[in-house]
Amino acid sequence: MKEVVNTKTVLHVPKWKFTKQKTNFSVENLFILGAGMVVIFIILCALFPKWIAPYSPTFMDTSLILSPPNSAHWFGTDYFGRDVLSLVIYGSSDSLIIGIASVLIGGLIGGIIGSVSGYFGGIIDVVVMRLIEILMTIPGILLALAIAAALGPGLMNIVLAVAVSSIPGYARVMRGQLMSIKKRKYVEASRSIGTPEWRIFLWHLLPNSWSPLLVMATIGLGTSILIGSGLSFLGLGIIKEIPDWGALLSQGRGYLTVGWWISTFPGLAITLFVLSVNIIGDKLRDTFDPKTSRTR
Amino acid sequence: MKLVNWTKVISISMALLLLLSGCANSASTKNSSAETNKEADAQPKQGGELTYALATSPDSLDPHRSGLAVAGRVFRTIFDNLVIQAEDGSIQPWLATEWTVSEDGKSYIFQLRADVKFHDGTPFNAEAVKFSFDRIIDPKTKSGNALSLLRPYVSSEVLEEYTIKINLATPSTAFLSNLSQNQLGIVSPTAVEKYGDQFGKNPVGTGPFKFVNWTENADIQVEKNSDYNWGPSNVENKGKPYLDKISFKIVPEEATRIGSVQSGQVLAAETVPPQNIASLKNDPKTQLLTVNTIGLPYTLFFNQRKEPWNNVKARQAVQLAIDVDSIVKTLYLGTYERSWSPLTPGIVGYDKSLEGSVKVDIDKANKILDELGYEKGSDGIRVKDGKQLTLNYVDGSPNREKRNDIAVIVQQQLKRIGIKVEINITKDVASVIYTNADYDLYGNSQVNSDPNALRAIYHTRTPEEEAVFKGLPGGSDTELDQLLEQGTSELDQAKREEIYKKAQQKIIKDAWIIPIYVFPYTVAASKTVNGITFDALGYPLFNDVSIE
Repeated sequence: MKEVVNTKTVLHVPKWKFTKQKTNFSVENLFILGAGMVVIFIILCALFPKWIAPYSPTFMDTSLILSPPNSAHWFGTDYFGRDVLSLVIYGSSDSLIIGIASVLIGGLIGGIIGSVSGYFGGIIDVVVMRLIEILMTIPGILLALAIAAALGPGLMNIVLAVAVSSIPGYARVMRGQLMSIKKRKYVEASRSIGTPEWRIFLWHLLPNSWSPLLVMATIGLGTSILIGSGLSFLGLGIIKEIPDWGALLSQGRGYLTVGWWISTFPGLAITLFVLSVNIIGDKLRDTFDPKTSRTR
Repeated sequence: MKLVNWTKVISISMALLLLLSGCANSASTKNSSAETNKEADAQPKQGGELTYALATSPDSLDPHRSGLAVAGRVFRTIFDNLVIQAEDGSIQPWLATEWTVSEDGKSYIFQLRADVKFHDGTPFNAEAVKFSFDRIIDPKTKSGNALSLLRPYVSSEVLEEYTIKINLATPSTAFLSNLSQNQLGIVSPTAVEKYGDQFGKNPVGTGPFKFVNWTENADIQVEKNSDYNWGPSNVENKGKPYLDKISFKIVPEEATRIGSVQSGQVLAAETVPPQNIASLKNDPKTQLLTVNTIGLPYTLFFNQRKEPWNNVKARQAVQLAIDVDSIVKTLYLGTYERSWSPLTPGIVGYDKSLEGSVKVDIDKANKILDELGYEKGSDGIRVKDGKQLTLNYVDGSPNREKRNDIAVIVQQQLKRIGIKVEINITKDVASVIYTNADYDLYGNSQVNSDPNALRAIYHTRTPEEEAVFKGLPGGSDTELDQLLEQGTSELDQAKREEIYKKAQQKIIKDAWIIPIYVFPYTVAASKTVNGITFDALGYPLFNDVSIE
C-alpha cells in the first residue's frame, strides 16, 4: 500500500480539468458523489449506530443462528445469532477511530519531524532522514504488526502501531515541502526585511506546506483503516463486546463454507469505505496539487 | 477514464484479498507436497506416509513434562507403558507381562518383557522403569501431570533384570490404570542423560514409531520402528506398524485443517468443527471418526484467590446466570454434549444425578448479588464501595474448540445480572494462569482414566506445590480434601464410587466450577486410510493403520 501512496504524490498523471467538462455529470463526478455519500453514511453509522442499526449488536438470538440474509436480517446472522448488519454498523465506530486517530497522530508526528528536518537541514536533516529511511525499509503493515505485538492488546495500541508505521511517509513529504518553500522568493524577501525566524516558520513556511499532507492524510485514512482491520483480524488481546470490522472478518472465517455472509459483509464495508476515501483523496489531491493549479 | 482510480481499486482489492487469505494460506501451502507421490503407489497394506493434521502444537514430547493432550497424541506413538487399559476398563499387559499386588495394596511387583529395546538400542529392563519413575518424582524434572498420575509412588526396587517392585506411600486404586496413561510412558535412560533438558525435543522410547524430526509450529515426523513386536492388546497388529511414516502437521486454522482433508493435502485431521461435521458426513471421500474423551470435561474454574470469587455466594450467582445449555447448543450445533459434573460420563464414579441439577435462575442470581451488597449502577453494572463488579475471563489463543466464543456468550449472559466480563485472550497461558494466577475465570479440561484426577485439581495445595505452579481453583475445603484422599486409597469399588459422588456434589454445590462440555475427539480422514483406532481415553492409535 505504502508504495502506491508514495508514487501517487510524485507521478505526473493526466489531470481532470474543470474547463474541459461540458456537464458536471461525468462518470468521475458520479464516483465522487457516491464516495462522498458512502463516507457520510459510514460516519453517521459510527456516530449514531443506535438510530440506524435494526437490532442491538450484542443481542444473541440463539434460535436463529447462521441464518442467511433475509428480510428480517439483511446481512444474515452469525453463529451467535447476532444480526450481522447491526454488527457492521456498530463496528464502524472502532474502525473509524483507529483510522482517524492514527492518521492524526501519525500525520502530526510525521509533520513535525519532517518540518524540523526540512527547515534546519544539515546534520539534523541527515540524521533524522536516515532514521526515517530505516523505518521506511520495513513494510508498513509489518511494522504495525511488530509494534502491536510488542505493545500488547487494546484499541489505543493498535492506533499507535498504525500511527507509527505511517510516520515516515508524512515526514518525507513535509520535509520536501519545507525544503522547496524555504527557498521561495517571498520567504527570502520576508527574511531580508528582518522578520524573526520563528515568525517566518509559523506564518510563511507552515501554512504553505501542509496542503499535500492533508491530501496524504485523506488517502492515508483508507490505508490506516485497512492496516487497523488487518491487526484486529490477526489480533490477540481483549475481545470487545462490539467487534470492529477486522475482528468481525476474522470471526466469520471459520464459517466461510457454511455462512459466507458473516465475513463477507464486514469485508465489503472495509472495501467500500477505503475505496470511497481514496476516491475523495484523489479529488482533493487534484484540487490542491500546485502543479495542477499552474497548468490551469 | 483515468487509470489512477483503477490501479487504486485493484491495489485495494488485492490488499483485501491478501488480508482475507493471509491466514488461511500459510498453513495449507506447507502440506501440499507431502502426499502426491505416496498415494500413486497404491500399495495394498504395507508402507506409505500418513499425514495427520493437529489443531495445536505440542509443547514438548517429553511425556513426563507435557500435560497437553495434543502432545500425548504424538508421543503415544513413541512411548509404551507397562500396562494398557482395555475398552471395558480392565488392565491388560503391555511392557509388563504380569504383576502382583501386595495385600496392603502398597507394593506392586511387575514382570517385564525381556525382548524389548529402546529406539537408541538401550535395552529395556527394570532399571529403565525405575529410572523413568524416579525421574518423574525428581523435582528437577518439573513434572506436572505425570507426577500427579504417579502418586503415591515412593520408590522402585530392581529385584531382577526383568522384575521390579514399586512401593507406594498409601494404597491407590487408580495406580494401575494411571500406569496405562501415556504420560507415564517409559523413556530411554541413555537418551535422557544424553539430551538432558532437550529430551522433549529428542524423545526416545520403545514405541511403534521412532522420532525423526520436529519443525517448530509446522510438523513432527515419526518413522516405523522395524523391531517393534510388543504391541498392546487393544491393537490388532502387535508387530511393526504398516506405515513407514507419520507426519503430524500443525494446522491451527480449523477451516484449513478440514479443507486439507477434503482436498487430499493431508490424509487425516483432528478436531472437526461442528459446523463442518454435517458436510463431512455427506462427503463420499471422507470418513468421520468420533470418540468421547473421558476425564475432566471442559470446565470454567473460578480463581478463589480473588475477591469476590472466594465467596461461595458470588460464585453461585454466576452459576445460576450462565445458561450452559444455550452455549453448547449454539456453538456446537448438537455435536457436543453438555457436562454437569467435574467428571465426564463413562468414568468410574460419575454422578449421573447431577444431570439437570443446575438451572438458570436470573432472579435468584440477582437477589444473591443484592444481598452481597452489589448495587446496579446507571449502566447496569453492579457496584460496591465504588468498585464495579468485573470478572476477568482469560482464555488461550488460538480459539480451540470455540472456547473464545464461549467467553463471548458468557459476557452477554452475565451482563444480565450486572457483572461486567472482560475477556482477555492470551498466547501465554502458562504465565498468566499458572505463574501469576491473574484471572477470575479460566477454562480447562483434562483427559484422564480415573476419578483420582480430581485430587490434583481440587485438593488443597501445599505452598511447595504452589511454588512450582499455581493450581486452578486455588480453593481449600477440608471436607473435600478428606473425600479426595479417601478416594485415592479406598479399595472397595462401590464405596469408592460413593466417595467420588459426594466429592462431585460438593464441588457443584459450592459452585467451584461451571462445567461446560464433554469433548468428543473427532477425526476426519480420507476413506483410503484404514484402521485408525482409539485407546480407552480417546487417544488415536496408529499400529493398525494402512493406506490403500
